[in-house]
Amino acid sequence: MTRRAEPVRLEGTVKQALETGRNRLILAGCLLTLGFAAIGARVIELSVLRDHNEPTRPTAAADAALQTGRADIVDRNGLLLATSLRAPSLYADPSEVLDPARAAQRLATVLTDLPIADVEAKLRTNRRFVWLKRSLTPSEQHDVNRLGIPGLHFLDEWKRVYPQGSLVAHAIGYTDTDDRGIAGLEKSFDTQLRTDHTPLRLSIDLRVQHIVRQELAAQIELFEGIGGTGIVLDVATGESVAMVSLPDFDANLAGRMSENARFNRATLGVYEMGSTFKIFNTAMALDAGTVSLRDGYDATRPIRVSRFTINDFHAKQRWLSVPEIFKYSSNIGSVKMAMDVGTDGQKRFLGQLGMLGDTSIELPERGYPIIPSPWLPINTMTIAFGHGLSVSPLHLASGVATVVNGGIKRPTTLLATDGAAPGVQVIKPETSRALRRLMRLVVEDGTGRNADAKGYLVGGKTGTAEKVGGRGGYARKALLSSFVAAFPLHQPRYVVLVMVDEPKGQKHSHGYATGGWVAAPAVKRIVERAAPLLDVAPVDMESPEIRRDFLIKLPDVGGKRLASF
Amino acid sequence: MRRSTILWFMIAACLGVALFLVKYEVQEREEQLAALHREILANQEAVHVLEAEWSYLNRPSRLEALVRRHLNLVPLDTTQLGQIDRLPMRLPVLPSDPQATIDDPATAGAPTAALPPLSVPTVTAPPTPLARPLARPLAVSTGAQQ
Repeated sequence: MTRRAEPVRLEGTVKQALETGRNRLILAGCLLTLGFAAIGARVIELSVLRDHNEPTRPTAAADAALQTGRADIVDRNGLLLATSLRAPSLYADPSEVLDPARAAQRLATVLTDLPIADVEAKLRTNRRFVWLKRSLTPSEQHDVNRLGIPGLHFLDEWKRVYPQGSLVAHAIGYTDTDDRGIAGLEKSFDTQLRTDHTPLRLSIDLRVQHIVRQELAAQIELFEGIGGTGIVLDVATGESVAMVSLPDFDANLAGRMSENARFNRATLGVYEMGSTFKIFNTAMALDAGTVSLRDGYDATRPIRVSRFTINDFHAKQRWLSVPEIFKYSSNIGSVKMAMDVGTDGQKRFLGQLGMLGDTSIELPERGYPIIPSPWLPINTMTIAFGHGLSVSPLHLASGVATVVNGGIKRPTTLLATDGAAPGVQVIKPETSRALRRLMRLVVEDGTGRNADAKGYLVGGKTGTAEKVGGRGGYARKALLSSFVAAFPLHQPRYVVLVMVDEPKGQKHSHGYATGGWVAAPAVKRIVERAAPLLDVAPVDMESPEIRRDFLIKLPDVGGKRLASF
Repeated sequence: MRRSTILWFMIAACLGVALFLVKYEVQEREEQLAALHREILANQEAVHVLEAEWSYLNRPSRLEALVRRHLNLVPLDTTQLGQIDRLPMRLPVLPSDPQATIDDPATAGAPTAALPPLSVPTVTAPPTPLARPLARPLAVSTGAQQ
């Protein structure tokens, strides 16, 4: 039997307790709902709306790539010139060293070049860190480890290594113990080498560099010179294919080398170049139109200006045509040629050619030309044959490249470039053609015969300058013998400059130490050896086209015809 | 109701177990990856050292000394260089040659298979230098010595 349940009415305190319970239940329920709602919203946000901080795909760590302290430097063919290798450096925490005297003594048994007293003093200091030796060899590290001296530790550091030793030392430069570039390209490109890890590709061709260095060293030894420089420039791009300065140094031991060895004669040294400047002088006169190849000057008598006398080395004492003035390197004729152009014209021309300013080479070691101030007529006269204006050998090579390449001046560079750099036309193309014929004449039948590498149409100009002596005059015996050449002249590709500092006359050279005897043979051998590597094919020098292109008619002298091609 | 609860519970348990398995698998793979990266770096560094050594051993002066000592090579002379179009015409094929027929114009003036091909180097284009020189070209001068 069932009874319908009566609704229960609760009154008083019981009802109140139930109300409280229900309120609390609702509150807790609300809080829980709120919490779940928040979680739900977050889930929707993450999965549907996609938070941008969350990656949509799983990512793995990037592939490992070795990061050295500095980027490599390579030659134009990718051969390694400078790289960084990991080398352990030894340091000590003096507070951990128990017996400094004994530790120093034991350490000296394996690292023999460390002075014991010095090491002991370091181990007794109150610091927590002292360097004992930087960049140990693996065997040295092994030996030190075997001693088991407490308080000695190793720290891996990057050490700059130059596998080619001294071959490219001046161009590349070197770094200090903390791996900062302090000379050469290491200094110029310090920031780039540290941050960018792609190798720095130079315009230097290691094989040509080796040839130039070897031939230059041979001539310096043969003529007992004190130094020298050799440069090979690409006339179409301004790239330096080789740049040698002797004496040089092992870049791995740069800190211990003498100042003389570290001096870059190719770019930092400025010299009075002598007769090689007649290339510029003749180009200037032909470009200005004051003379043509058929004109000439009387070179019978020396020119006397105040206390100077300008004379000819290979004096002919007669009227000379412009090609003859160039061929016999006549100072008198050159001076007269320059005087006709005038001081302003000379200044402007040399300025356009870059002889009065900085070269653009990417080295901190750049020599600034020594320019006469004020530029008097006497300076105009002496500059005509290469005295009174000092430029670096690189200035000269770059100027000759401009003269032979059709008259386009391009900045010289040590970095590999793609294609021809934009240049400025500073000389007329006809002048460039005329100068090429004149330079060929010098090698075929003039002072530069020793440079005639068969088949490569070498043309150039000798230079033998007397160095400025200690007392303001010129030292008769201290010479600067140079030869600057371009090849192949029918389509110039490269300029080669060889300069030997203070060569002495030898028996086999009949006592001469002139550019034709000292530098020209080196240029010949450099051209012969480097041309096949530089993709220059020999030509038949007797072919009619070439004979016609390089024909220069020398005027009749006393009924005797001097003809040369 | 009871049955579906058990089902959901089972699914949740399976997912949980699977999640843990995947997690440990991923961890293990990541360790493997890190180990591989370490190995790659070590190998790269070894290669780097070897490259430096390679470059050191390929110094032109050393190669030249080695060539002088071990090989019978002389400096390249310009007379040894020529151009392929400067070569004289080949002789016409002899009638006795069984492989050639006179009435075939294609082979009349052309070299036949019987003739060994002349190995004329195309000197106008010297070999492109290799990134690592296997051997220096023949241009080893003796001119330095007087």
